[in-house]
Amino acid sequence: MSEPRRQTDGLFLIKYGEIALKRRNRGAFVKSLKDSIRAHLPDLPFSVHETFHRVFVGFRPEDKDRIAEALGRTFGVVSFCEALRAPREMPAIEEAAIGLAGRLIETGTRFKAEVRRADKSFPLTSYEIACRIGDTLRARFPGLTVDVHTPDWVLSIEIREHAYLYGPELPGPYGLPVGSSGKGMLLLSGGIDSPVAGWMMAKRGMSLEAVYFHSPPFTSEKAREKVEMLARILSRYAPGIVLHVVNFTPVLARIKEKAKDEEVTLLLRACMMRFATLLAERRGAECLITGESLGQVASQTVESIHFTGMLSDLPVFRPLIGMNKEEIIAVAKKIETFDTSNLPYQDCCVLFSPEHPLIHPEVRRMKRAYDCLVAEALIVDALEKAELVSV
Amino acid sequence: MNRVYLDWAASAPPEQAAIQEAAEVSLQCFGNPSSPHAAGKEAAERLENARARLARLIDASATEIVFTSGGTESNTSLLLSVLDRYRLGGVERRKARVITTAVEHASIHDQALALEALGMTCTVVKPQPNGIVDPQAIADALDAETVLVSVMLVNNETGAIQRIAEISRLIREFSARRGRRIILHTDAVQALGKIPVSVAGLGVDAASFSAHKVGGPRGIGALYVKAGVAPGFLSIGGGQESGRRPGTENVPGACAFAKAAEQRAGKLTDNHACAAALADRLVTGLKEIRASRIFPESRTGRDSEAFSPYIVSAGFPPLTGEIVVRVSDAQGFCIATGSACSTKKKDHTRVLESMGMDHQTALSAIRISIGPSTIETEIDGFLAMLTEQVPPLLSISQGLGESHKARDERAGARG
Repeated sequence: MSEPRRQTDGLFLIKYGEIALKRRNRGAFVKSLKDSIRAHLPDLPFSVHETFHRVFVGFRPEDKDRIAEALGRTFGVVSFCEALRAPREMPAIEEAAIGLAGRLIETGTRFKAEVRRADKSFPLTSYEIACRIGDTLRARFPGLTVDVHTPDWVLSIEIREHAYLYGPELPGPYGLPVGSSGKGMLLLSGGIDSPVAGWMMAKRGMSLEAVYFHSPPFTSEKAREKVEMLARILSRYAPGIVLHVVNFTPVLARIKEKAKDEEVTLLLRACMMRFATLLAERRGAECLITGESLGQVASQTVESIHFTGMLSDLPVFRPLIGMNKEEIIAVAKKIETFDTSNLPYQDCCVLFSPEHPLIHPEVRRMKRAYDCLVAEALIVDALEKAELVSV
Repeated sequence: MNRVYLDWAASAPPEQAAIQEAAEVSLQCFGNPSSPHAAGKEAAERLENARARLARLIDASATEIVFTSGGTESNTSLLLSVLDRYRLGGVERRKARVITTAVEHASIHDQALALEALGMTCTVVKPQPNGIVDPQAIADALDAETVLVSVMLVNNETGAIQRIAEISRLIREFSARRGRRIILHTDAVQALGKIPVSVAGLGVDAASFSAHKVGGPRGIGALYVKAGVAPGFLSIGGGQESGRRPGTENVPGACAFAKAAEQRAGKLTDNHACAAALADRLVTGLKEIRASRIFPESRTGRDSEAFSPYIVSAGFPPLTGEIVVRVSDAQGFCIATGSACSTKKKDHTRVLESMGMDHQTALSAIRISIGPSTIETEIDGFLAMLTEQVPPLLSISQGLGESHKARDERAGARG
């Protein structure tokens, strides 16, 4: 991939969160940044380089909007802005400042120049540079006035190995760079909740793997394609996400054969937790992530969650546990998974939900019912046959 | 894997001769039939030739045939023609009544309901439990404001044959007393080439046809409108098809349609006898499979007077039709759920439910539709496949469907 370095190329300057400054996170942050941009724009040439406190992304001018979109989704980015790079000489810096001010003047006439001199070998002090720039701009644009307290816009200048000039910043999504907090195994259905749960953990720096429980012929290929689409949308935020698709029909058949009707959903969830735990161990994921929200359905009461959670010895993260449906939907809309989740194809949990499911199951009784299934061999077999889908 | 195609009612495999004729006409008679030069005249000649051939097959005259893009357009354009109040014989548009049945294709049923939104009234007559509409029920719905009656000839989901000739007689009796014409339209898309279709014999004023159901190409169909009955067609354009269907004519399509329909007509009696034997074999075989149901229950497979032998509807409740279709597909058999045309829509159980079936049972429906090249071993293979595949699925899906209400409530409420 060619790294755009020509003078005409655009440059984004990125400010990242405090925690991302920590030494061990910086590599992960830069990698996440690169992956995020590539996840959405695989064929785009761009360059990423970092200096102390700052990451720069160089790009072709025509790719600006798409790069900005990717940066707006990259966890760890606190803010970013388009920057100009100029040689470390006052005439060049002044020329660049005039160019930038010409664009910013549309947003107001009161301005302020803010200078940070990271390289102290530069002959002028920050204050001297700011004064020079202020004078230059007022001379060039007679309507401009300097206002250090309530400026309409701020022209920032950083003197590093080059001089960088930039205007107002766009907000990033904050959070931690994906990959800096380990890896989680997300139980991904086709519903509204689980993609949101995955997104929330990615926001806290988890890289994701997802598992979808397919039950042919009861669930359709369309349902599977829908989940693949959801995983693809999640990859914009959690680059590198992989999806495991497992045929769970044999397990389902065993449950239908051995269990009481009202226990079907709970036992199915339990088998899924067991499966996901085995898969997580195999894939090096350190926790499970589910989209459970307390009391939303019968299998999400505290008793039900107690039981299904027993089937995993890994931490189970349920980031939606205290959220209302409306709040979850708002996030789903924001991250653009909602419309896909709303497609009508059903997953097996929905299809096989009994008419009167247990709402307050007795944990010991359910554990016995689970043991009666003798499902371990089936689950291990399903694990062997699980399919890895790159999204 | 050998594929067995049992979804002829959705679309029939093309007839070689029809496609050849389309190719030949496409390459040689490419002129615009409206053009005054030799190339245009040549194309116009082929078009008129196709029109005459098709007309002959249904006992109509050539001027009574309008080529359209297919069954749906034929249906909707005829229904929308009642919007032209000058053709309603003095009935004001907002009072005009359209009578149809609950077993129609969506392009009639839903279009009729859409007319209601425009101020007209629409009466939907329910069929008897066997899917056949009692002609007297249609007659009972007639009133002074009725301008149009539309009843399909062969139902696309159950194969039920409606008693159109009798309905026509009752309407004519009513009109004679009232002294005003009521247009009778029939959707004959699933009838053409399968049972005798004589517009004169049926006594209809209008009828819809589609080429790809008889081995012709997509995108071409026809609407028969009896001479002297002049619905006000809404589309306005270059005046093609005597102003009834503007747009440059699909000459190759029309020729291929005529060819395909001729091929079917030539062997109609023989084909029908074969289809009847296959339908009998199919229904008998289905009845032997655990939990099977035939829709309607009263169908025997030997009643080809009342049902088109080309279409059989069955199910294995509580297994949904969708699941059976998926399993069949995986085993190399192409079949449909209740109706292939409407599987993307939510109310795809309307026809079966109108016959008194509950929603869950209606959801279980599959449709097996055959054609002239379907053979006994294909039916036997299909039955053997179902016999093997269905019972294990039934035990898993025990209880499936009972929770539909709960599921509906939960739809969208899961993560």
